[in-house]
Amino acid sequence: MSVVQKNTSEASKWYLPGILVGLGITAKHLVSNLFNKKQMLTINYPEQKYEYSPRFKGNHVLTVKKDGSLRCTACMLCATNCPAECITIVASEHDDPSVEKYPIKYEIDMLRCVFCGFCEEACPVDAVRMGPEWQTPGLAGSNFHYGIDQLAYRPQLKGGMLSVLDDEERHKSGI
Amino acid sequence: MPKCTINGKEIEVKEGTTIIEAMFKNEQKIAHYCWHPGLSVAGVCRLCMVEIEGNPRLQIACNTVVTEGMKINNASDKVKDAAKWGLDFHLINHPLDCPVCDQAGECGLQDQYMEFGKYDPEMAEKKVKKHKVVDLGPTVVLDSERCILCSRCVRFTDEVSKTSELGIFNRGDRSEIGTVDGKSLDNKYSLNTVDICPVGALTSKDFRFRQRVWYLKDQETICNGCSTGCSIKTYFNREGFYRVKPAYNEQVNSYWMCDEGRDLYKFVNRENRYLKARRKTEAGWEEMIPGAGAKEASALVKGQGDSLALVLTGQYTVEEFETAVASFVQETKSKQVYHWQNHAGKENDFDGFLIRGDKNPNTAGLKKVLSKHGIATSWHEFQSAISSGKLKTVIVAGPENQMHYQEIDTLVKTLAKTKVIWMQSAKNASLEALSVGSWILPMKSYVEKDGTFINYAGLERKFKKVTTVVSEALTLAEGVQLVVGQNLMVKPETNAFIETARRQDQVMLEHRKKNEFVFKRGSL
Repeated sequence: MSVVQKNTSEASKWYLPGILVGLGITAKHLVSNLFNKKQMLTINYPEQKYEYSPRFKGNHVLTVKKDGSLRCTACMLCATNCPAECITIVASEHDDPSVEKYPIKYEIDMLRCVFCGFCEEACPVDAVRMGPEWQTPGLAGSNFHYGIDQLAYRPQLKGGMLSVLDDEERHKSGI
Repeated sequence: MPKCTINGKEIEVKEGTTIIEAMFKNEQKIAHYCWHPGLSVAGVCRLCMVEIEGNPRLQIACNTVVTEGMKINNASDKVKDAAKWGLDFHLINHPLDCPVCDQAGECGLQDQYMEFGKYDPEMAEKKVKKHKVVDLGPTVVLDSERCILCSRCVRFTDEVSKTSELGIFNRGDRSEIGTVDGKSLDNKYSLNTVDICPVGALTSKDFRFRQRVWYLKDQETICNGCSTGCSIKTYFNREGFYRVKPAYNEQVNSYWMCDEGRDLYKFVNRENRYLKARRKTEAGWEEMIPGAGAKEASALVKGQGDSLALVLTGQYTVEEFETAVASFVQETKSKQVYHWQNHAGKENDFDGFLIRGDKNPNTAGLKKVLSKHGIATSWHEFQSAISSGKLKTVIVAGPENQMHYQEIDTLVKTLAKTKVIWMQSAKNASLEALSVGSWILPMKSYVEKDGTFINYAGLERKFKKVTTVVSEALTLAEGVQLVVGQNLMVKPETNAFIETARRQDQVMLEHRKKNEFVFKRGSL
């Protein structure tokens, strides 16, 4: 514990000079901002939005295949890797034997999520990604349990996000 | 008794022991796939290579018998190199789809590859495509791409179940496991092939894709499917029980168990259980906390004297029977305790391997306790007492495993005029027909208590509690003690299981207006 000695000198009782110095700093910034708007740090938030880097980790996106179905194979590696335990997956058997396994439920609890990006790193098929969105308000807690509809097919994604990886090409090359 | 040296350690083994058996007995590690202690030796995987002094080439440990003065070494670079290349050959056509494969986490290939793998495959050729998701029978699915042709399953159907459905077809890298035309893998022990499959080629239809294995805990207990009492491992997590596998027991079941026994985790799960004590009133069923319910049910028992009977089934532990019968006889001074045996007349059936006709795990234990208390009643006496209207109240310790208790229905019908206190763990629709004033008390199932089962041969085995599913459920001992009016404190245990459905958001509009944050999100 450190003890800070209170400044009790006579000079410190004169508070007016200090206030004037502070006012001076404010006035200086006011004037410089008026003449040079580009160096201003604040933006007019709702109308004007900050440009984040492409590596920004925002709300999750589930990528889709060319036919629009989910890429996710329900391997649960993201759920296993998740430190916040916010991913719930229920797997099921697919009719197509080459797909074999797919998720019938994929839910992320956004309020529990810490946006660490471990799910994205764990995914072996590039099925889950962290997107650019972050301004997603909701009225009730249940609005933050994002299901497949929200994660893969929300209107902003315009029919789903395609992955660069292509299954058919991978199968042809014998992987 | 030949003596040999394994990795510098001198040991003595029985005549005719193979090197791999000697190594396992002395807890030495050795890579292997096709060798299984319960099956014959095939020697096809070529992974269990060992160096024997005086022998110019490496030998397979599973098919070489130990001789006097043999010096064996499996830690040298030469052996490790052989295992590494053996593995690489196994992986030539094995698909690398571990994330989709259900065996991931308990796969022989994964384990061995971590230890001996080459990590740098040199195969440039394309993998051979084979059949995927082949429906082999009512219980098993085959993926022949993942199969490494160890032939364990083929040997199992030839040697253990003796049904010979499976075989290896075609040659070279086109070889596949399959069944002869039109035949399906359909026998009472078929799921053992899934257990012994070292890769994800054979998977159980029941367990397939339901849970990843690394989310499951396991614990050993005793199967309560029939009077054989196989040692089993139950696999569970916080959402419930998922599967049952056999555990090795030399005296009872060796490495195997029947398919029917693998279904016995289902009635233990929360959705199939009675959670509260229930009393039937004119208006319907009334629910109550089990301990309090049992105390209130004792009003039906008080002062009944000779018109009271206790009916027991052989599905509870010896300790429970002991306490229940002792406290019943002591409190009511009546010796009307009856043994309810299902499938009367079929109890000595036996299929020659494991399955027995007596579908209760502890019939012998119940008989022992009854004879200890000098009770020699027959089921006919109970039936005549019911039909003559002598009995007013009956306490029934119902069966946990109801797969072979269709008689519940008939018993409930014969008890239509008597008041019944029915103690049971799993739900049964026929109990809805009990008379007005009757009670159903929830019991603990076999995975929720310590105890002893005595099997058909008189073998006494203790088992430990696995977990708690219904925290407030009573044991039979507690139930009978409370019902006959003894004072007992029953402490509910903490519940290890969660509700799988998420609860609804509780922040309503009026709460928000008052700025109250009522929704507790749980501890992090």
